[in-house]
Amino acid sequence: MPDNVVRNIRHLYTIFTRDAVDCLRVGSPIAGIHDPSHPINSTTHNWQVITTSESLPDPPFPKYLGYLGGVVVPTLCTLINWPLRNHVGPTSILLVYLLGVFLVATRFGRGPSVFTCLMSAMAFAYFFAPPLFSLAIADTENLAGLAVMLLVALVTSKLMDSVRSQAAIATHRERRATVLYGLSCELAQARQEEEIAEIAVRHIQAAFGSPNTLLLPDDQGQLIRPPADSSPKTLVDMDWESAQWTFDQGAAAGKALDTQVESDTMLFPLLGAAGTTGVLVMGHPDPQRRLVSEQRNFLETFLNLIAQSLERVKLAEQARRSSIRVETEALRNALLSAISHDLKTPLTTIVGASGTLAEKDASLEPEDRRVLSRAIQEEAQRMFDLINKILDMARLVAGSLHLDREWSALEEIVAGAMGRLEQSLKNRPVNIQLPDTVPLIHVDAVLIQQVLINLLDNAAKYSPAASPIDISASVTPDALQLSIADHGPGVPPEAADQVFEKFFRLHPESTPGGVGLGLAISRAIIEAHGGLIGVQNRLGGGAIFSLTIPLDEAPPLPAPEEQTGYPA
Amino acid sequence: MANPQFVILLIEDDPPIRRFLRTGLGAQGFKIFEADTGRQGLIEAGVRKPDLIILDLGLPDMDGVEVVKVVREWTALPIIILSARYAEQHKIEALDAGADDYLTKPFGLGELLARIRVALRHSATNPENIQQEVFAAGNLKVDLKNRLVSVRNQEIHLTPIQYRLLAVLVKHAGRVLTHRQILKEVWGPAYTENPHYLRIYMSQLRQKLEDDPTQPKYLITESGVGYRLKG
Repeated sequence: MPDNVVRNIRHLYTIFTRDAVDCLRVGSPIAGIHDPSHPINSTTHNWQVITTSESLPDPPFPKYLGYLGGVVVPTLCTLINWPLRNHVGPTSILLVYLLGVFLVATRFGRGPSVFTCLMSAMAFAYFFAPPLFSLAIADTENLAGLAVMLLVALVTSKLMDSVRSQAAIATHRERRATVLYGLSCELAQARQEEEIAEIAVRHIQAAFGSPNTLLLPDDQGQLIRPPADSSPKTLVDMDWESAQWTFDQGAAAGKALDTQVESDTMLFPLLGAAGTTGVLVMGHPDPQRRLVSEQRNFLETFLNLIAQSLERVKLAEQARRSSIRVETEALRNALLSAISHDLKTPLTTIVGASGTLAEKDASLEPEDRRVLSRAIQEEAQRMFDLINKILDMARLVAGSLHLDREWSALEEIVAGAMGRLEQSLKNRPVNIQLPDTVPLIHVDAVLIQQVLINLLDNAAKYSPAASPIDISASVTPDALQLSIADHGPGVPPEAADQVFEKFFRLHPESTPGGVGLGLAISRAIIEAHGGLIGVQNRLGGGAIFSLTIPLDEAPPLPAPEEQTGYPA
Repeated sequence: MANPQFVILLIEDDPPIRRFLRTGLGAQGFKIFEADTGRQGLIEAGVRKPDLIILDLGLPDMDGVEVVKVVREWTALPIIILSARYAEQHKIEALDAGADDYLTKPFGLGELLARIRVALRHSATNPENIQQEVFAAGNLKVDLKNRLVSVRNQEIHLTPIQYRLLAVLVKHAGRVLTHRQILKEVWGPAYTENPHYLRIYMSQLRQKLEDDPTQPKYLITESGVGYRLKG
């Protein structure tokens, strides 16, 4: 036998030895979706499969193979029958052909099985039914046998078609359940609208093979345009008015959906319980095709799931915002009562002194004028510091604290804080004890410096003038500890926690003014860095404020230089 | 240092601040022109030919950084920017765009005058042409021509990078330089995202040049912005 015939026979053999379900899996493109390695972007193929699944599924093998079988199988049967022709009757010979026809019918559907049936009938008539070597059949019994064979071919192929179609539908349903399960699992874990949009787009692309994008509204109910390069090309020139219309009306739109829209894209609203939560824009692989109703239903389920998730996230966000609002409200009230006194005091001085300067200028001695100007300057500076603290706190409470982390040197931060406090630390010895090798710290240097300013300022305010302030640092493998110690009255142990609360002051009416925010701000900043801040009393009187900042892994250092420097 | 020939253009939208600066700087002998928008300021800058511009970054009509960029397209005259607190990024952008110095509001007249003096000095001597060969401040002396650095007349040995870093600061003495500007000049444009290099070398320089590195007298940190060599 020539090689290709052998190969074909082998192929037929493999086909015949597989069971029907196997055939379906290998042959059907639907099965491809089950395959996790199946690339998502070969989706045009899937799309066609889903649309054709409404009618009978295609037989598992190409038609020409069936017709080839229609030639090969009767030939084989003839070869088997030929040596037997003198030992058995024509009925038995017919049975062998019937077996062949049956096998073809189970694999290839109606056309090839009828063809096989005819070929077999011809072979039978020519080789076995008298008169021999003619296509005529004399015996009625043989004719009846052939008729039964045709009937078997028809019935079997019909049965197999329906089995195949059942199997395909089952696979199809299973696939849909799996797809929906995957979608809902991922959606359940999403915490942000953008995350949901990303998940939705990915799943819809995988399930429907259409490029698509999810448009979310802003707070004013206007859909937000995605950046032009982020969405597939077909969606870029989408009709924005229709998208907004879909969002406002909560009704689907698109040429393929029989509404008057110019573009080929389809627009579906995401309907949640409290209104439309977004719009799905779906491109069409084939603009002529319309969504079949079964697919529409499937898509609806998708959209419902997505809409529900969007709504859930939105509600969670609302709850978070309202809790912030409550806290802000409380802060605002506390703020008003706390600052009214502290702001009024310096203002009284400023208004009085500047009024005197403006109105009684002629009668003032130069020395008086200097005193009054100095008072205005000092009190204005005090107000400025207060306002800064209040603004700092407002920023921290509003949750807008953004850490601008950079690798920073501790000595620079300390030096920066000292520089800012030049005035209030005048005439006061400050001992700075830093280890020789402090690693760089990955912090927001401006904010950490603010913490040091607050602590140093407190130390200066609450300890006797000219008493020293000690700044010291120590390094452990995973943290940096910094202490600022003064010789003031210290902090009562029972108030060690309270001093870090907003608006808490140990001696509310004492002269060094303040709103009681400096330490609260410091704690917020240090905690934002993942560190700790606390206060202890030192032996012999005074407070030690210490803060701990976790050390990150050091950045790559520049290559060491050779030490031959300048002058050469 | 009354010097009536110096003309200052003040671009600031807040009338009380303009009044305060007009009075304060006028008393020092400067001639002041004012503009309350960026556009107006750009016109004035062309018409009045000022010696220096004081520019508020928060203008109603355009971003101060844009004003700096436009001015830099045709002139190198010194620009001092005024900005609010917490606007470090904004300051850096303006400095990178070519502004010479900055002041954070509120500021005192004394501070502003000091900055104006430094800026005018640089402008008058034009650092690109007439390079000051010897820089001296306090005990520190840097001789750029002979590449000699000394503290209290004691010669200090520096590595090549340490020297290059110091030389860049000396060339712009008194002015603030952003991290990016220094990194670019010392290490090259590819290193502008490695500010920790700068911190390490700056710390080494302080160890060698400052009496007390934690309370530097010359190598001043401008927190969140950059460095300034005081002198």
